[in-house]
Amino acid sequence: MKDGWIKRNLRAVRGRAYPRVIGSTREPSWILFDVALPLLTVAAYAYIYKFMDAPKEFVGFVILGGAMTAFWLNILWSMASQLYWEKEIGNLSLYLMAPISRMSILAGMAVGGLFETTLRAASTMAIGILVFGIALSLSSPIMLIIVFIVTMISLYGMGMMFASLYLLFGREAYHMSNLMTEPIYLASGFYFPVKYLGFWAAAGASIIPITLGLDALRQLFYPTTGAAYRFLSTDAEAIILGILCVVFIVLSKLSLDYMEKLGKTSGRLTLRWQ
Amino acid sequence: MGDTPAVETKALTRIFEPKKKKEGKTVTALDRVDLRIEKGELFGLLGPNGAGKTTLLKILSTLLLPTSGKAYVAGFDLEKDFVEVRRRINMVSGGEISGYGLLTVRENLWMFTQFYGIKSRDAKDRIDSLLDQFGLSDKRDEKVRTLSTGQRQKMNVVRGFVTDPEIIFLDEPTLGLDVNASRVIRDYIIDWVAKGKDKTVLLTTHYMAEADQLCDRIAIIDEGKILACNTPANLKKMVRMNKTFTLDVTLLADKSVLGTVKGVDKFTYVDDAEKNLTHLKFVLTDESAVSDIVSDVLRNGSKIVSLQKTEPTLEDVFIKMVGKGFE
Amino acid sequence: MAIVSGLRTFKNAAWLGWEMEANWTDPFLFAIYSIVKPLAGTLILVFMYLVITQGETQTMFFSFMYVGNAFYMFVADVLFGVTWIIHDDREHYMTLKQVYIAPINFRNYIFGRSSITIAISSFGVLLTLIFGVLVLGVNIDFASVNWPLFIAALVLGLATLAIMGLALGGVTFLTAKHAMGINEGVAGIFYVLSGVIFPITILPGWAQSISKFLPVTYWMEGIRRGLEPSVVAQLGPATGLQGFSDLQLMFILVVTAIVFLFVSLGIFRYADKVARRKGKIDWTTAY
Repeated sequence: MKDGWIKRNLRAVRGRAYPRVIGSTREPSWILFDVALPLLTVAAYAYIYKFMDAPKEFVGFVILGGAMTAFWLNILWSMASQLYWEKEIGNLSLYLMAPISRMSILAGMAVGGLFETTLRAASTMAIGILVFGIALSLSSPIMLIIVFIVTMISLYGMGMMFASLYLLFGREAYHMSNLMTEPIYLASGFYFPVKYLGFWAAAGASIIPITLGLDALRQLFYPTTGAAYRFLSTDAEAIILGILCVVFIVLSKLSLDYMEKLGKTSGRLTLRWQ
Repeated sequence: MGDTPAVETKALTRIFEPKKKKEGKTVTALDRVDLRIEKGELFGLLGPNGAGKTTLLKILSTLLLPTSGKAYVAGFDLEKDFVEVRRRINMVSGGEISGYGLLTVRENLWMFTQFYGIKSRDAKDRIDSLLDQFGLSDKRDEKVRTLSTGQRQKMNVVRGFVTDPEIIFLDEPTLGLDVNASRVIRDYIIDWVAKGKDKTVLLTTHYMAEADQLCDRIAIIDEGKILACNTPANLKKMVRMNKTFTLDVTLLADKSVLGTVKGVDKFTYVDDAEKNLTHLKFVLTDESAVSDIVSDVLRNGSKIVSLQKTEPTLEDVFIKMVGKGFE
Repeated sequence: MAIVSGLRTFKNAAWLGWEMEANWTDPFLFAIYSIVKPLAGTLILVFMYLVITQGETQTMFFSFMYVGNAFYMFVADVLFGVTWIIHDDREHYMTLKQVYIAPINFRNYIFGRSSITIAISSFGVLLTLIFGVLVLGVNIDFASVNWPLFIAALVLGLATLAIMGLALGGVTFLTAKHAMGINEGVAGIFYVLSGVIFPITILPGWAQSISKFLPVTYWMEGIRRGLEPSVVAQLGPATGLQGFSDLQLMFILVVTAIVFLFVSLGIFRYADKVARRKGKIDWTTAY
């Protein structure tokens, strides 16, 4: 007995998440690389701030930014470029032929990779807090959760949109991911409050959900001093992120459909190394 | 056979333009292809490399849009109703490398069934049954990357059939496989069509014998055009009216009389002194001349070692249509 | 014959490396990419610094940090480049096994491929330095550059990096699609402990002891002494390596290069053997 559209797509999400989950348990070498080692880059920035006698919360900002890089890298390398890699290894045509939404496939990848990503982020935070003696406030846990959730949904929605672009950019996919790693760390204020880029630069960077997400989280973790470094208030940022959720999910659906049609018209959809 | 065909194309054309002019020239992969495949048919598409077979299959499996013309699968317009089409089809290609090396055979197959809305328990039952039929039961829990080429292709074929499609597209499914593996796959295909209700197969191949053995009808395609479409027997009839016989006899000294037998159109021979044989080849206008030939051979003191009637092959058909063999 | 064959392998691998690095887009976009990427990485630190110092960049420490970060690009790119070569060839293009079984020295193939990474990184480093000097006032006086020291340190350091990359490449044979994790980790160790963006004297004592075992620490010092001797002189004991003379520094670099050569070759050989025994040369691990 076959399912209706919703159930089928939920199954598809589960089906695609499965290899990610199983893969991470069968090849556990990622635990060392993803948990312990990313902290090193974070530590370097933390020491720089310490050397410059920066206010203590800046070290906290670095730890938080370092933790969130896990999600940004997951977006770039495990979602945006994933359809391109699926094409290279021969799975894409099978996915495209299946009677499911492309977003289900991408959602499955996101869900499946969430465990690894979350573990990386959490461990960076936990170890960073312990090693550098950071004190974070948890006085607004509900707001913290809301901000985190809307940031993630909008971020992954944006990742789905990127996936469609990557499908057509082809070989450029890996280089696009490379190009968007550090510039986004800079523009989104991963390691320093984004307001220091200037209002308009920060506003422009806010299109990347993680910009406002980080800014809001910084304010929530440092309620007393965070306001001095904020770009917008947490309420405003949460609302904007909520809007971005809808925008990116709609845009990702439209762009996936459009890019697929463009790919089928040009004949490049399933051509390897294009 | 129902009124709605399984597959129908009308003036289907696909042209590939290079991204940049200097990167190549325009290629017409399909040129006004008209095709109608009825439900329950095992239909073959025969053609050399670059003929347009895979392009046609990609269009029919909703991976590619035509430049012009129309195509319908299970009665649904490919461009407008592609979701409905996808619910009813599947495709297996030869030399497929899909799947995830870290997953087991069963896990890979299960994952794909989930995209077709098949309940887990049902999926697992089907997978186990098919793996058994393809002799892969002992590989069920092995990781995909440990499979040999033949095993991997069998797994791919299982993936195609496990969703129980109405129409399955098989793009050179036995490419590069050994005799046993190929036979298992072919036998399964025949069985599937025979036992299923209105199950349709569109098979592309450039193995003549495979097409001859499996297909109810065959279309010959070259340079994007359908050159002929008929049953294998009717296609062969198009080639020649004459019959060819090959006769091996013990070394025959005097062959001159054989050319004068009534009903013999052409005759050639080769003496193999080492094996003490003469290989005789006759093209006959009248098959009954065989008995006169045999009598003459025996009268001349030779013995018959073997006698073989050579029917025209699909390759003969193809050569006649296209003017070249398969490259 | 072996030398000629080795050079040919190196040359062909370098050609392939260039094609892989540059052939993915048109020249204009490639140029943009080659400019934006290195600068963006540098500007993160620059902004971090500006935020705290309220815009002041003409300090010794800023020059120290900027130059270190610029040359660190070699570390990240080379280590990443080598692991990516193995990963890419194996998982995406599936050409690794064909190259592997060819009658070539596979190590020369890796060196050839990574040489292009070094060449492309050189462009990024140079661009970053020029930007720093012209726009941010980084203290590099070309008249007082100690060219012999700088060039010697640069060459030795790059050779050591390429050699370390070989070891990482071997490790990549044995791991799944975590190539980025490996290079990120190792590069991260150097970033924290080798005086790249801050003097090692900031670190706790036990960490400083580790720093003094890492070749990149001495490499950074040698680069700085060659390129910005006045900065190093002014920072004095703050660098943590003031007790070493230039000659001692070069000697340490040579010794560490040799030591790492043997260690890396050993790791590569061992990993190669294990990979062959376990059938991992052509395995695919995507999920």
